[in-house]
Amino acid sequence: MLSFLRHLGKRFLSILLTLFITTALLYATVMLTPAETRAELYMPKNFSPRMTEAQYQAMLERNIERYHLNAPYPVQYFYWITNLVQGSWGYSPTLQEDVLTAITRRAPATVEVILFSILVYLPLGLISGVIAGSKQHKFSDRSFRTSAFIATSLPPFILAILMMAFFYIDLHWFAPERISSAYSIFIKSDEFRQVTGFLTIDGLLNGRPDISLDALRHLAMPVITLAVAQWAILGRITRASLVEELHLDYVTAARARGVPESRIVWTHMFRNVVSPAFSSSMISAASLLTGVFVVEIIFNYPGVSFIALRSMNNIPDAPAALGFAIFSVFMVLLLMAILDLIQYGMDPRIREKA
Amino acid sequence: MRSAQRFFTRWQNWVGLFLVLIFVVAAIAAPLLSPPDPKHPGPMKIIGRATLLQPQPPSQAAPLGTLSNQASVYHALIWGSRSALLFGLSVTLISAIIGTIIGMISAYFGGFVNSFFMRLTDALLSFPIIAAIVLVQQLISIALYNGGIRIYTQGSVLVLPSGDFLFDPKDFPGMMNFLLDLDPVLVALLLLSWMPYARIMNTMVLRIKKTEYVEAARAVGARHFRIIFKHLLPNAITPTFVLAARDIAGMVILQATFVFIGFGKGAPWATVLVYGRDWIYSQGGIFTYWWVFLPVTLALIAFGIGWNLIGDGLNDALNPRSQ
Repeated sequence: MLSFLRHLGKRFLSILLTLFITTALLYATVMLTPAETRAELYMPKNFSPRMTEAQYQAMLERNIERYHLNAPYPVQYFYWITNLVQGSWGYSPTLQEDVLTAITRRAPATVEVILFSILVYLPLGLISGVIAGSKQHKFSDRSFRTSAFIATSLPPFILAILMMAFFYIDLHWFAPERISSAYSIFIKSDEFRQVTGFLTIDGLLNGRPDISLDALRHLAMPVITLAVAQWAILGRITRASLVEELHLDYVTAARARGVPESRIVWTHMFRNVVSPAFSSSMISAASLLTGVFVVEIIFNYPGVSFIALRSMNNIPDAPAALGFAIFSVFMVLLLMAILDLIQYGMDPRIREKA
Repeated sequence: MRSAQRFFTRWQNWVGLFLVLIFVVAAIAAPLLSPPDPKHPGPMKIIGRATLLQPQPPSQAAPLGTLSNQASVYHALIWGSRSALLFGLSVTLISAIIGTIIGMISAYFGGFVNSFFMRLTDALLSFPIIAAIVLVQQLISIALYNGGIRIYTQGSVLVLPSGDFLFDPKDFPGMMNFLLDLDPVLVALLLLSWMPYARIMNTMVLRIKKTEYVEAARAVGARHFRIIFKHLLPNAITPTFVLAARDIAGMVILQATFVFIGFGKGAPWATVLVYGRDWIYSQGGIFTYWWVFLPVTLALIAFGIGWNLIGDGLNDALNPRSQ
């Protein structure tokens, strides 16, 4: 228990440090813009867009004075980060609402995609990698290697186009967006209690399994698109590390003792190959999140990517872009922390190291 | 030499080299294979009347048919391989050089320098590319807006402080034209692709710098510069080749992805897919207008497979243990 707490504390500190470095870099890039742009980062939550130009300018001036936007970088960074922690992320002129509200309202949809794709690719990648590695050069290994190779070379958006053509247009199995229009009004009404924000779970909690099923039908294509690429990466790394373990002494010793092969692979070796696999997943957490936003846009799924999409429209909107970046980094770090905890539970060696 | 032998004995590597060679030939011989339109050079060559509004099947003038804007798919395919190769090679080369130098120097000096740079590397690894693209695009937009440029769907306008307008991009200040043409995807990828190289070089150099021959070089009074570039670099560089070969495919695929969702510029292959997207889901099944997506899709997949095969081949040849 003590070692677990120590591990947790170490993780937490390292996350804080990463957050500090990334936010410092983010604010350093914001320093490239004039003070008026930075003043927009401090627009209040209840900011009214119905202001005259003169009033708006006066407000910017006030913000520049109040938050020391002509002071050196460390001072400005301090004011900005304090404000951020207190929950004022600025008002976005293109979204016409407070940035933090805009993000938190859409976050559950994005988290749902991430959650389901992890639930699909993590077990599949580990299991298929271990099977392929233990049956080296046999048929199952060859077929795994070929399909994983194709999956890594296939651009995800092309997979998305093909799935839309087959599973949506031809077969009507899956659908883009988040929920069928028949349910969308009911979900927004007061009758539908939003507990977790995940439609699949909230549907069950409200006693409406049909809504959960419909949500799953809409989740399928984004999740499959993401999971295929991640599965291939994870599976290949698991296979490679299992193959390297095959000739180690403890495996030979276990074989000599007459331990059944499946027991050697799944109990002795499995725990040892989990670590490299999870480390690689942690490193590719950022690319997983990029993938999540990309498939959201391709499948018209209403998540946080909407903010990124609006930010690309050539209209200056620093608060939204910054908010989006901070949210993304935060999600990546959260993902890494969760993967780290799972790895901690599975690999006994880390427990002893901590 | 042993590793070169190992590389050329596997048929997969020959397939990879062959696929890449096709793209190299297409890129070099592009003006011969598909002569550009002298009035409108560029990957989109308009064939026939633009009022047709429907993709036209393959014909003499457009061997792979046309898109809905009557641009030749064949022309975009050929010139797209030039831009794909250029993009992949240049982004990979630049990020490999940045990463190699950062990883090597921080490992060589060790101590505080090393922990500082590796912390930075790890922090940037948790920064998603798409967030960087959004930020870069916003910085560009803010700079353009403050420079008086207003962007509309039909084109951009420069508003002068006097209240007059300039419509011709040729009259804009050079900086504004540079920002208008700047590709946020390119900038973001250059900023955020060097970290894996830095990490690999770092571990390699940390391992090598304790060996006797480096100690010997230091003992005879070799300078830092000489030790780093003469002794450490050649012995630590090989693992980055594997990463670089796979990255060339990865960069091109990422660029195509972002162009497809409307975040980037250039990338003719992805632009063809943007135009062709609505015609894929037509009533007669996806193969009614096969030429709007099949040629470029296959090209992208072949490009990815080619470079990935070379990367895997290099990996197996350089560390035989992983076979």
